[in-house]
Amino acid sequence: MPRLEVLSEVQRRMLEFFPCMESDESPWSPLGKPLAESIVAIVTTAGLHLRDDKPFNRDHPGGESTYRILPSDADTADIVQSHFSIGFDRTAIYRDINITYPIDRMRDLAEQRVIGSLAPNNYSFMGALRDCTVVAEQTGPEVAQRLRDEGVDLVFLTPT
Amino acid sequence: MSVLARVFETAGLTTVAVALVREHAERVKPPRALWVPFYFGYALGKPDDPKFQHEVISAALDLVKATAGPVLADYPDDAGPVGMPQASDVATAATNGEAKPLDAAGEITALRGYYERWQEQRGRTAVGITGIPQRRFRGIIRFLEAYAASDDADMDERPDDVSIPQFARYCADDLKAFCYEARMAQRPDDDETEIHSWFWGETAVGALIDSITQRLTATDDPKLQATAYGLSR
Repeated sequence: MPRLEVLSEVQRRMLEFFPCMESDESPWSPLGKPLAESIVAIVTTAGLHLRDDKPFNRDHPGGESTYRILPSDADTADIVQSHFSIGFDRTAIYRDINITYPIDRMRDLAEQRVIGSLAPNNYSFMGALRDCTVVAEQTGPEVAQRLRDEGVDLVFLTPT
Repeated sequence: MSVLARVFETAGLTTVAVALVREHAERVKPPRALWVPFYFGYALGKPDDPKFQHEVISAALDLVKATAGPVLADYPDDAGPVGMPQASDVATAATNGEAKPLDAAGEITALRGYYERWQEQRGRTAVGITGIPQRRFRGIIRFLEAYAASDDADMDERPDDVSIPQFARYCADDLKAFCYEARMAQRPDDDETEIHSWFWGETAVGALIDSITQRLTATDDPKLQATAYGLSR
């Protein structure tokens, strides 16, 4: 994001007072093998999903804390976005989905042997949540278990 | 996103996050984050620029070499726009005094050729959240025109588990994607600011969406007001 000082007063204040789950320290799991041998998955909070999957829906309690599976072999033409926020510029993702979901770039890196390989699945959540409790305690750990079951070593996280 | 990084790392996975809001990353403390000075929507800096995107990804992946954290590094190069105009930043077609009648359905028909050119050129489209084919978007227009007038509007295509306001939002997102993609095919050299200004300032579809916002904002219902906030502001 551009530095806060270049934003409008409204946007700046919204971001300054946005509720965050604050912490004093970080968990730490170092990569146990070379990057070139690691299995990598993308997890994005861009609100993406397959065209025939259900869009994110705020009608249901917790609906914004759900996630969608994006198989690595899915055609990017079959991925759409139902993010709730209009505070970001969609022209970028209309032009190129890699701007927020760099699936083609990760394919490049796997071909170049910079990373070992892409995981079978990537995952998408809704971003800009004011309450992350369900994600932190339920759907996030669920996806963590899925990633582990799928042999993932490294998770590359992107916002929108 | 920073919360997810912490959840995954706690589960034994190594994580690297691209962060758009440095101040939030400082507070939440994901284990490894690369702050990028790009506008919202531009996490990897530049669309259609694989080289630039690879440079950002490479800088992020470098963070796995750190031996202790949290690590919050700054990406040095700026890119892309620094903001974008919203509906309230431009005089809309409904209010700018133009004499021409607003015909959103006719506008969709007029833009169709450009939209289809975009789809052909790009091989993908962001249209598709409603599941309604773009050839039937005149039906969406009729629904939104009715919804702009009152709550007594609906579409047969609306799934049972999607409320009318939520469905109206999906319809608006599909129409926006359709119009934006058509415009980008029609005028490929226009920058983002010009495209947003065109949509909100000159199109009947933009004026229609903004008229729904005005109606919902004026209600006393917080849910409808939240819907309005996601349509235009």
